[in-house]
Amino acid sequence: MMTTETLQRLEKLNQLCLTDAEKDTITAFFNQQADVFLALNQINTENTERMVHVMPILTVVREDREIKLFTRDELQESAPETYDGYWQVPRLIE
Amino acid sequence: MKLYITENGAKGANTVVPDDMILTKTMPTSAGSKMLEGYQGLFDAEVITRLTNAGYEIGGKVNVGEFSIDLLGESSYFGACTDENGVLTSAAAEVLKTGDIKAVVAMDVNGMPRRAAALSGMVYIKPTYGTVSRYGTIPVACSGETVGVMARNTADCREILAAMAGHDDKDGTSLSEEQCAAVKTAGAPIKKVAVLQSLVNAADADTQARITAVCDALKAQGVEICTVDDDVCKAASPAWNVLLSAELCNNVSRYDGIKFGYRTPNYTNIDELYTNSRTEAFGLLLKTAILYGSDALSTENYMNVYDKALRIRRVICEAFAALFAQYDALLLPACSKTAYKTEEVGTYTAVEEALFTAPASISGLPVVAAGGVQLMGKAFSDDSLLTLAALYE
Repeated sequence: MMTTETLQRLEKLNQLCLTDAEKDTITAFFNQQADVFLALNQINTENTERMVHVMPILTVVREDREIKLFTRDELQESAPETYDGYWQVPRLIE
Repeated sequence: MKLYITENGAKGANTVVPDDMILTKTMPTSAGSKMLEGYQGLFDAEVITRLTNAGYEIGGKVNVGEFSIDLLGESSYFGACTDENGVLTSAAAEVLKTGDIKAVVAMDVNGMPRRAAALSGMVYIKPTYGTVSRYGTIPVACSGETVGVMARNTADCREILAAMAGHDDKDGTSLSEEQCAAVKTAGAPIKKVAVLQSLVNAADADTQARITAVCDALKAQGVEICTVDDDVCKAASPAWNVLLSAELCNNVSRYDGIKFGYRTPNYTNIDELYTNSRTEAFGLLLKTAILYGSDALSTENYMNVYDKALRIRRVICEAFAALFAQYDALLLPACSKTAYKTEEVGTYTAVEEALFTAPASISGLPVVAAGGVQLMGKAFSDDSLLTLAALYE
C-alpha cells in the first residue's frame, strides 16, 4: 500500500509537488497497480535471467573520435536564461 | 483540436509528417508537453535525414499526447483530437484522412499509434526493435520504443519503412546493416496464424467481431487460422508499465528548467525553480509515471518490482519464441473497443489498454495494426506482416 510518507519521499526525490487531489488519484493508481503486479509473482522467474535488451546489441562500442557537433551559443539558444555564456540559475548560497 | 504543432505547407504524395516526438532542425519539437513548448532542436533525427535524402518532403509536425504515453493523444498540452461526435481520435490519423500527405512517422512508446491506426482504418507498422534509428527522438522508454510508419495502406508503410530502416552508428541499439536490411526485403509468406484468445476475450463484442472478420478474410486467402490460449501475454502489460515508467522517470529527469524547456516564474531559490518548473509543466499521467518508475527503482522495490519485470520480459519473449516455432504470426486486438468517447477516457485508460499493445512493446517484435487488429510476427518478419495485412486491407 502506498503511504503518505512514501509518496512525499517520491515527490521530493523527483522534484514534484502534488495537489491533494493528485495525491489521492496517484495513491489509488499505485494501490491498484500493486494488486495487478502481485499476480506476476505466480510466474516463477527464479531461474530466469533478466532481459534488458530485447535484441542482441552489436554496436555498444564504437571508434572513439572527436566530433564538434554544436557551439555553446547553439546549445544555449533554447536556455530559459543565460548570462555571458553561462546558464543562469538563482543564487545557490544564501 | 490541434492536428499540427507546426505546418509548413508541404503537401502531396511525396510528403511525410513526423509526430512531435521526432526532432527537426527547422521546426519545434514539444513532445505534447508544456515542458518543451516551442523547443527548437539543434539537429534532425536520423529518420528525418534519411527521408529527406530519399527525396521526401517534411510537411510539419503532428500533435501527440504528453511524451506519447497516453491512449490517443488526449493528454497533449496543446489539446486532444475529437471528431464531431465527441469520439477521441489522433492527430496522426486525422492528418492522413485528409489525403494531403503520404505518411506519418510516429514514435510507438506505449502503443498509441497502433491504437490510432486500428480505430481509424489506417495502417501502422511498428518495426522490429533496432532496425530504425531512434537518434534524435525524444527518449521515454528506450528499451521498447520504436519509430514506425502510419499510412493509408500497407504499400505506403512499406515504402516509407524502406527509406527509414538501416544501421545507425549514432544509436547504440541499432542493429547491423544486414539485420536492418531484412525488414526491407520480401519475406516468406505467412501461412499459419494463431489468434491470442485470452486477449480477444478481454475485448468487447465489436472488437471480437473485427477479429472474426479478419480471420474469415485470411481463411478465404488460404491462410490457416488457429487459436492459442496463452495467459502469459497478460503479464506483458504490468511488466511493461514498470519498465516504461522506470525508464521514463530517468529520461525526464533532464527537464529541470535550467538548460532548456519550461522555467517557472515562481521561484525564490534553486529548489523551487526545479520543483515548480516540473510541477507546472508536467501533466498528471506523466507525474504518475515518474513516481511509479521512481518507486519501482527504489531500494525497497528494485528486486521485487523492477528486476521481476525484467525477468518477466524474458519469460514473455521465450513464450513468443515457442509460439513462433509453430505459427508464422499472431493475431490480437489493438484495443478493447472500436471507439472511445472523451468522457469514457480517464487518466489511466492507456495503462489498461496496454494489455493489447504491451506484448509487442516489451518484446521488441514487429507488429502491424491494420483493419482494426494487430498482426505480430517474429523478429525481422516486418515485410511478411505487411503482405499478410494487404490480404484483407
